[in-house]
Amino acid sequence: MYLDNPQQLIDWHDKIIAKQKKIKKKILVCCGPGCLANGAQDIIERFKTVLKEKKISGFTVDALKETGCHGFCEQGPLVVIEPKGLYYTKVKVKDVEDIIEQSIKNDKTIDRLLYNDPQTDKKIEKYQDINFYSHQKKIVLNNLGNINQCNIEDYIANDGYQALSKALTSMSPQRVIDTVTKSGLRGRGGAGFPTGRKWATCRNVESDVHYVICNGDEGDPGAFMDRALMEGDPFSVLEGMTIAAFAVGAKQGYIYVREEYPLAVVNLQKAIEIAHENGLLGDNILGTDFSFNIKISRGAGAFVCGESSALMKSVAGEVGEPRAKYIRSVIKGLYDKPTVLNNVETFANVPIIIRKGASWYNKIGTPKNSGTKAFSLVGKVRNTGLIEVAMGTTLREIIYDIGGGIIDGRPFKAVQTGGPSGGCLPASKLDLPVDFDSLKEAGSMMGSGGMIVMDDRTCMVDVAKYFLGFLVNESCGKCVPCREGLYQLHALTVKVSEGKAEEADLEKMEKLSEMVIIGSLCGLGKSGPNPLLSTIKYFRDEYMAHIRDKRCPAGVCRALITYKITDACTGCMACIAPCPTHAITGKKNERHVLDQKLCTKCGACFAVCRYDAILVS
Amino acid sequence: MVNLTINGRIVQAKEGEMLLTVLRREKIDVPALCHHDAVEPFGACRLCTVEITKEDWNGHSNYVTSCLYPVEEGLIVSTHSPKVNELRKTILDLFLARHPNSPEVRQLAADYGVLKTSYETVVDGNNCILCGICTRICDAMGFHAISTVGRGHGKEVAPPLHQVPPDCVGCLACAKNCPTHYIEYIFDNNYLTIWDKKFELMTCSRCGKKTITKEFAEYLSKNRDIPISYFEICDECHRKELAATMGQITSWEREA
Amino acid sequence: MKQNLDKLSDIFNRYPKNQESLIAVLQDIQKEYHYLPEETLQETAKTLNVPLSKVFSASTFYNAFSHYPRGEKVIRVCVGTTCHIRGAHLVQEQLENLLNIKAGSTTKDLKYTLETVSCVGACSQAPVVIVNNKYYGHVKVSDAKKLLRSK
Repeated sequence: MYLDNPQQLIDWHDKIIAKQKKIKKKILVCCGPGCLANGAQDIIERFKTVLKEKKISGFTVDALKETGCHGFCEQGPLVVIEPKGLYYTKVKVKDVEDIIEQSIKNDKTIDRLLYNDPQTDKKIEKYQDINFYSHQKKIVLNNLGNINQCNIEDYIANDGYQALSKALTSMSPQRVIDTVTKSGLRGRGGAGFPTGRKWATCRNVESDVHYVICNGDEGDPGAFMDRALMEGDPFSVLEGMTIAAFAVGAKQGYIYVREEYPLAVVNLQKAIEIAHENGLLGDNILGTDFSFNIKISRGAGAFVCGESSALMKSVAGEVGEPRAKYIRSVIKGLYDKPTVLNNVETFANVPIIIRKGASWYNKIGTPKNSGTKAFSLVGKVRNTGLIEVAMGTTLREIIYDIGGGIIDGRPFKAVQTGGPSGGCLPASKLDLPVDFDSLKEAGSMMGSGGMIVMDDRTCMVDVAKYFLGFLVNESCGKCVPCREGLYQLHALTVKVSEGKAEEADLEKMEKLSEMVIIGSLCGLGKSGPNPLLSTIKYFRDEYMAHIRDKRCPAGVCRALITYKITDACTGCMACIAPCPTHAITGKKNERHVLDQKLCTKCGACFAVCRYDAILVS
Repeated sequence: MVNLTINGRIVQAKEGEMLLTVLRREKIDVPALCHHDAVEPFGACRLCTVEITKEDWNGHSNYVTSCLYPVEEGLIVSTHSPKVNELRKTILDLFLARHPNSPEVRQLAADYGVLKTSYETVVDGNNCILCGICTRICDAMGFHAISTVGRGHGKEVAPPLHQVPPDCVGCLACAKNCPTHYIEYIFDNNYLTIWDKKFELMTCSRCGKKTITKEFAEYLSKNRDIPISYFEICDECHRKELAATMGQITSWEREA
Repeated sequence: MKQNLDKLSDIFNRYPKNQESLIAVLQDIQKEYHYLPEETLQETAKTLNVPLSKVFSASTFYNAFSHYPRGEKVIRVCVGTTCHIRGAHLVQEQLENLLNIKAGSTTKDLKYTLETVSCVGACSQAPVVIVNNKYYGHVKVSDAKKLLRSK
């Protein structure tokens, strides 16, 4: 319904709440990135089909909601029955009829679908009682998993657009900026620049045109928080951007979405159209004289376009080459006009801050690091998924209380934060509070929120080599330190991983890294050596093992390991077919033989052996 | 006007001027391979990097490329500090690894004490240092005939689709300004060949010398509103005619 | 190879005819033709009023575009950090061996294209492989053959 004035928004909100009270039960099916990859779409279709067939009284298909990421990706596909909070895990299509019969028609619980706590070996009915959830503090991810992704009524029911209404009708642009500044909100894209200050600087530039851009490029491998927000709660991003536009005087905004996220583009586009239809975007928003339009700009596969000046060039239809930022893009940005560029999560925080106030937000987190941060907790941790914690929560709490510790009970080795710009932190840093400043001091950085947990089977030299290889591929190639320097650093890590390096090479890498850091044009090059430097700092003996002893302790670097078949071999022949070079021979029930000359150490045999008969040394 | 300190000496400059311009005016020699006065500064080679600080920075320094850094009041600049020297050496070292056969690169590296590269020589290295002068000048000339292709280590300068560039008029601005003389062109009787494109040359109707390409002449004629006949006379003959004309005026004035 | 350029005017009509639309236009062309045929680049330059050299520059800078026809099945192996430490490169190698091509190429019969992609945001399902937009999670080296046969 087209909203002509703020009162109509309140009336609509009340109407929706009244309507929702009539719905006895809601079925929330998680359609976050993990669950989607795991078949959530088929589960939705099955629910729709069965609900139509069964025609249960007092229960319509309206109560079935395709939600954004509920968080516990490891246990997906997830189905939640509200208001009870009944939590079903690893749901399959064939479970759908059972769920409808037992938990919708009746009030029964299906035990076999409940989460089993590994520590107590007990089943848990409600997700709020599961450690993974109870240790989190959900603010910006609050809507995810609870509302239908592109349904504006769901968003409004959860107080959506009240912040925008408040800003437009009872606050001046300056007051909005002051509120954001007082809240202490810092950029969630990684650098942590104070958001209020950025907006103030932009506003103060005299110009006929100001722009607001949302950075949805989320290039850090391992991070998917922004993807989940853009797909699962798109209106929060739009509302945040609109408030920012009001604050700085912008009439045009862009959301830059990376090419690898087509669903985010679709959902954002839908949300934009719906917002337009309802007078919440476009001309005369909520009947005021403030107008703002948002256009979606798609990335085309370039990590460097997450950098602000490169992003703006990409929006303008050019190659994404950054420029020196001595004149910041907040002063001269897109088309040389003053531009506010913020991350998806930063914008999603804005409506909450306006609604609940700066002091409320400031009380969460630590001094100078207020609020919460969303993380994608992935890697060798038991409970992988999308989480949100208050700033200042320790790594230990995140990895053990929420993450449930390392898979298979293996020892923790390192946690990587900040993507290719960040670093690896060892066990000695587990009690480090997670916030911008502490992470930077320790040699890593917050980054956009990817948190990758590694165990003793991860080789840190391999990790450094991997990140450098990634950056060499993604470098725009404009400046020499990044283009040539990272290339040579990568070549040196390859040398180490092949056992061909000398001790002097380690010093060479450290010196070259320093020059790349001070000489590079943009953040990609400037922070590129971080993974290498942090792994050398905390895992120097592992490097020395590769260099001096020609050994890879974690058993990863191909040139330095051998695969052997041990006595445990039962002769089951399972490993013979998968071997790409036919290096394994043997008859049934006879111990197999691995020809070292043919072995490429691809790990195929190791992956299939059920008797632990393959030894990697 | 602003006051800044460069290598311990106080210097005055216009606010917003680029630091490199000021350095050059003060006759301070700082290398800048990707810099060309005819086009906007680029910041690609990083050789013109200097160390800067300010009194209220508590000893903290920044490293910026002087070609793109606007001067400000109270800036303290060090153009040859130990870290800056090390950076320049490193860049030239990296250049040597990629362009071992370029005499210009070898000379510049030698000037900074780098005689041999400490890194792995890049196998397919040619002499293009990717300074971007050619593409930027081509854009400034209005032709946009060539551009950078690809990205990262494999980036190169090439005509579109790796074919004969349709927009090239053979003005030679790219080749004549290339710091390593990488761009080849051949004069052969009545023709010029560059980027695999063959151009017919204009001939001076006075002395018979070959001048510019027909395409370039047509472009200039159209865009500068000059009759095409102007280009049928070479520069030298133009000057001879002008001198003769000026000579006539002077003697007339004298007579009067 | 001569291409049917009829679809081009449809694509051009979707966007304003200026440089800001360049990347979106190229993506639509890539989607329609499965690569960027030469003639489409020339038409794009003309229609959007952007120099051909700039169009070509953009088309070679970004990973999303290919200048050679892609296969019927596009197999993208995610090599993001999480997938990497869970063995994505081993899956990639197995696929390379089975198809006899390196990642970034297409088989001669134009049936398969093998590519790597850095993080598609489904990290909890690592290693992830996408076959023509269908996601497969927890892919093991031994699953490689199955992937090739998938629909």
